[in-house]
Amino acid sequence: MENNTITPSDPIPETIHDQGNSDKPSTGNLYGLILSFFQQAKENKRLMNSLRITLRSLIAVLVALFVFVFVLYIVPGFQELSSGGKTRLTSDPELKNDQKYKKQASALTREIQRLSKRYASYTSGQSYIVINTTYNRFFLYNNKKLIREGTCSTGSYKRLQTAEGRSWTFKTPRGQFEIQGKRTNPSWHKPDWAFIEEGLPVPPKDSPLRWEPYVLGDYALDLGDSYMIHGTIYKRQLGMPVTHGCVRMNDEDLEAVFRTLNMGSKVYIF
Amino acid sequence: MENSENKALTRRKITFIVIGSFVVIFLVYYSIMLAASPAKKRNELEAKFGLAEIEKDKIDPRFYSDSAFLRLCKEKTFFQARIIMAGSDSLYITFNLTDSTANLELCGVQLHKAKMKDLRISKILTRGNNYAIYSLLSSPMTIVSDVSTIKKEPIMIKMAPKDTSEFVPDIAPDTSDVEPVNYILQMDNDIKIYIYQIDDTVTTDKHKLFFFDLNDRLKYAMSSLKSVVSFKVPDYHPFIKIRLPKADAKILYRSVPRHGQIAVFR
Repeated sequence: MENNTITPSDPIPETIHDQGNSDKPSTGNLYGLILSFFQQAKENKRLMNSLRITLRSLIAVLVALFVFVFVLYIVPGFQELSSGGKTRLTSDPELKNDQKYKKQASALTREIQRLSKRYASYTSGQSYIVINTTYNRFFLYNNKKLIREGTCSTGSYKRLQTAEGRSWTFKTPRGQFEIQGKRTNPSWHKPDWAFIEEGLPVPPKDSPLRWEPYVLGDYALDLGDSYMIHGTIYKRQLGMPVTHGCVRMNDEDLEAVFRTLNMGSKVYIF
Repeated sequence: MENSENKALTRRKITFIVIGSFVVIFLVYYSIMLAASPAKKRNELEAKFGLAEIEKDKIDPRFYSDSAFLRLCKEKTFFQARIIMAGSDSLYITFNLTDSTANLELCGVQLHKAKMKDLRISKILTRGNNYAIYSLLSSPMTIVSDVSTIKKEPIMIKMAPKDTSEFVPDIAPDTSDVEPVNYILQMDNDIKIYIYQIDDTVTTDKHKLFFFDLNDRLKYAMSSLKSVVSFKVPDYHPFIKIRLPKADAKILYRSVPRHGQIAVFR
């Protein structure tokens, strides 16, 4: 059996093996290894200097890290601890029997009921539609109940710019709108951007070239400012933000929406 | 030779001790100043929103320490705030902190409802003067500024082709929802509303949230440092930290106008 005990004066062995485990050095051996390393380092000035610099840098980094964490996380934590005052919320039965209290509490209750009724009246009992432009979905309501929901397509958020400085932003406006017109078999009166976008010359306003049938589906519901809810021939793109600002739906959903919403029905777009 | 080396060592030690002491003293001073800031804020709120002496004749101040009475008052003002916002004709958010819901509303119609997954409120808002906090939250607050990891309007510029030869049809847009959704809304009444997505199972999302939060902390630390070095107690911003599902957080941020309104019921 080999004697593996190392004294500080011993030279560093190349490999030290534990008796039982040939792969891992034992704790005693490791201690000896460290000791002998420092012994050697003491003699080697260059090594000692670099060790000292490394240690100092490490301490400096740790101190900086501590200051960083202290300022950014610990102090705001203290702040929260110190911000808690005393809440004096009671439920005093004596106070509840006070005539003045009773009077004021009942007045408040009545006022809440009145405000609640008033607020509930804002939601129409008639049919209305809610359109979510972030995730391209619609929700159709009748008598305050959801009767249909599905995917649609809304504005692409593309800004078309010409070299001359004209620009159009294709986004669906958010807010409250009303159905201002209902049409069957609508034709699209193409605006200037529809030609500019394809690099075509823009025809005069009254040109028959501006009229394009069959692209809006079977129905169109006007929202004002040329925005519409209509059908599409690009059904694969439903659920994506691809339109020029209008709301596109598939044929079945469009028919249901067309039959449910009346002139003046509210359209909420968010 | 050895003597001069010793002297240099002693000088270095003294310098280290002086710098170290200065850092420690400054950190203690900084901590004390920051710890004093909520108290300053509480006093400000009490002075601005507390029950005035004249009002005390009309309303018994004891009523506002009664939980049932205070709840009725809060309910009333929450409805009032929503009615005011409904008249504004623009999208607004209501946070009901008692049932942990965030609602997007327009003209009094609820358009979207989201359930909060986590909620943390500044202690000053939960333990401060009941009447002052009730008054502070009784009217709609307006967004003054915001910081976000997503764009409010993801506009893409497309140059018009000069002729048909240059025309390239649009391809289907990339709808993969990869950006993390975290934002901070600074309100006009000095409350900060933090909305962070809860779906942070993706490691990169966690990292982005960490750095986003760190950036906010750094900004606050810098502004606090400025105050502290000029011997002023720094400002304290009461906060409401909400964790929402990513889709809901995105909907709320994109829908509410840049200077939109928010009402809070607590």
